[in-house]
Amino acid sequence: MIGYIIQRLLSILLTFGVVSILLFMMMHAMPGGPFDATEMPLSGAAKATIMAQYGLDQPLYVQYFKYMQGVFQLDFGIPYQSPGETVLELLGRAWVPSLILGGAGVLIGAPIGIGLGLLAALNRNTWVDYLASSIATLGLTIPVFVTSMALILVFSVWLNWLPASGWGEPRKWILPIVAYATIPMATYARYTRSAILDTLNKPFVMVLRAKGLSERKVIFKHVLRNSAIPMVTVFLPMFIGTATGSIFVEAMFRIPGLGAYFVSSIVTKDYPLEMALILMITVMFCFAYFLADIAYAILNPRIRLKEGTSK
Amino acid sequence: MMSANKNNLYPQKSVKKEKSSIKSQIARNPLYYSWRRFCSNRGAVFSGSLLLIIVSMALFAPLITPTSYEEQKFLTENLAFPSAQHWMGVDDLGRDFYTRIVYGARVSLSIGFVAAAFSVLIGLPLGAMAGFFGGPADWIIMRIIEIFSVVPPLLVALLLAALAGGGFISIVFIAALFGWVQVCLLVRAQVMAFRSKEFIRAAQALGGTPAYVLFRHLIPNSISPVIVGFVQAIPLAMMLEAGLSFLGVGIAPPLPSWGQMINIGINFMFFYWHLALFPTLALALTVLSTTLFGDGLRDALDPTLRG
Repeated sequence: MIGYIIQRLLSILLTFGVVSILLFMMMHAMPGGPFDATEMPLSGAAKATIMAQYGLDQPLYVQYFKYMQGVFQLDFGIPYQSPGETVLELLGRAWVPSLILGGAGVLIGAPIGIGLGLLAALNRNTWVDYLASSIATLGLTIPVFVTSMALILVFSVWLNWLPASGWGEPRKWILPIVAYATIPMATYARYTRSAILDTLNKPFVMVLRAKGLSERKVIFKHVLRNSAIPMVTVFLPMFIGTATGSIFVEAMFRIPGLGAYFVSSIVTKDYPLEMALILMITVMFCFAYFLADIAYAILNPRIRLKEGTSK
Repeated sequence: MMSANKNNLYPQKSVKKEKSSIKSQIARNPLYYSWRRFCSNRGAVFSGSLLLIIVSMALFAPLITPTSYEEQKFLTENLAFPSAQHWMGVDDLGRDFYTRIVYGARVSLSIGFVAAAFSVLIGLPLGAMAGFFGGPADWIIMRIIEIFSVVPPLLVALLLAALAGGGFISIVFIAALFGWVQVCLLVRAQVMAFRSKEFIRAAQALGGTPAYVLFRHLIPNSISPVIVGFVQAIPLAMMLEAGLSFLGVGIAPPLPSWGQMINIGINFMFFYWHLALFPTLALALTVLSTTLFGDGLRDALDPTLRG
């Protein structure tokens, strides 16, 4: 187990290095720089001074190592688009609405999805199953900005019940959270359905039924517990996914969250912010998968046993 | 006889038929059984027909639309609501909106199909290599896939779209860059499953070189996962295009794209709802029908791939 953990950590470090180098090269390969405004262009001398101040006049590899050195000390630099604060401060400010949106979306969507998947699996091939599966397919295939648009058209434009955009008061949170919750709901509905059907086909379920255990006990005590393993492992990566998944929802509902900065940092070539955003999400994904694997090993004794015997 | 057979798609109905045709059991192409399975899936048949309609609309766009997609012919009727003359109204720049939607199907579908073709072009050889040679080749390809699974695709797509300046070709390549992973994994799994089968061993024992075994036996046997991967890559590419265009780094105007139209539609939705509604509907219907068609095809070609 410890050997496995060390191996995974090294692999994360390698991924992190490769991703950071690729991103850095891609960012700087883009034509133009952060201070090439088309309206009111800076004079050559002023631009050179600013470039020197941010260290942009140095060769690329020096810039890269300087930046990465900062990253390991949790110093992500200063965003060009708002030089009054550090990248970390900006993220801390902008992350709050995104976190509320994504967190509430997952916490509301996941249980509904699990319920739907459970209903679908237990009523396999009946109208309940078809309805639940259709909802899951709709949620998975229709882009979230289309869902948001549909919600806005129905609930704000036609019924005029809820505000269409903004973030200030909790009333304005409802539509975006509902729109976002469709993704985890659909994902969980599909995962749960296939996990439970998988478990129901296992021989031990037949034994439980043969020995006369009530169906309720079979489902809730045995089947659910055995189906939980794959469901736990998708939770963390999905939670991290909220960080990027909310870009569209935030753009649709004009929410001042992290999403706007993803686009603006790339368009305005705000190198430090861009690097910080993508690197942080990559690292979180790596660790989410890592933790999911560990959780899998802890929850599933068979995996642990295999690890133990093979090493 | 033939037409009777064709109507006989549903299992309940076919019971009687099979009884009478036992003595004349002919060896049939496996594709025939796949076709039967596909036809018995009503959702897939329906979405397949819908997709066919959308594809033919895209193909014959100049024949079924009154103007070209960029002609501002109706400037006096700016933002007009749907009517008999303008089925989906007129947009903010005096263009017939129905025409724009139909040409949007052209953009969306062609990006979907071309990107899926490139996904197969990259994913098939890599997947076959990883599955067949195993060892270091497999390790390297799997590490590359791992990198693709941890970087947020949307962010990298945004970065690449900004880098390549949007446009049709760059979006196709970005979509293919993320689409090949699924194809590669499907082909790899299939090749690995077949690699140690008897007929492969036999071919090797008879002196078949790795290239021969790979091209003569393993790749032809991976045809169903390849088709499945191809069809499933289409809606993903279409969604990526719509998303990038929605965020303003995708297809550049005046070329119409549904994502771009939705983005413009938000500004008008409280009064001129048709500018938001029709692109939303078009995108949802197309992505949904492509996905359901792909799922149906997967179940028909290889029921074991069902997820």
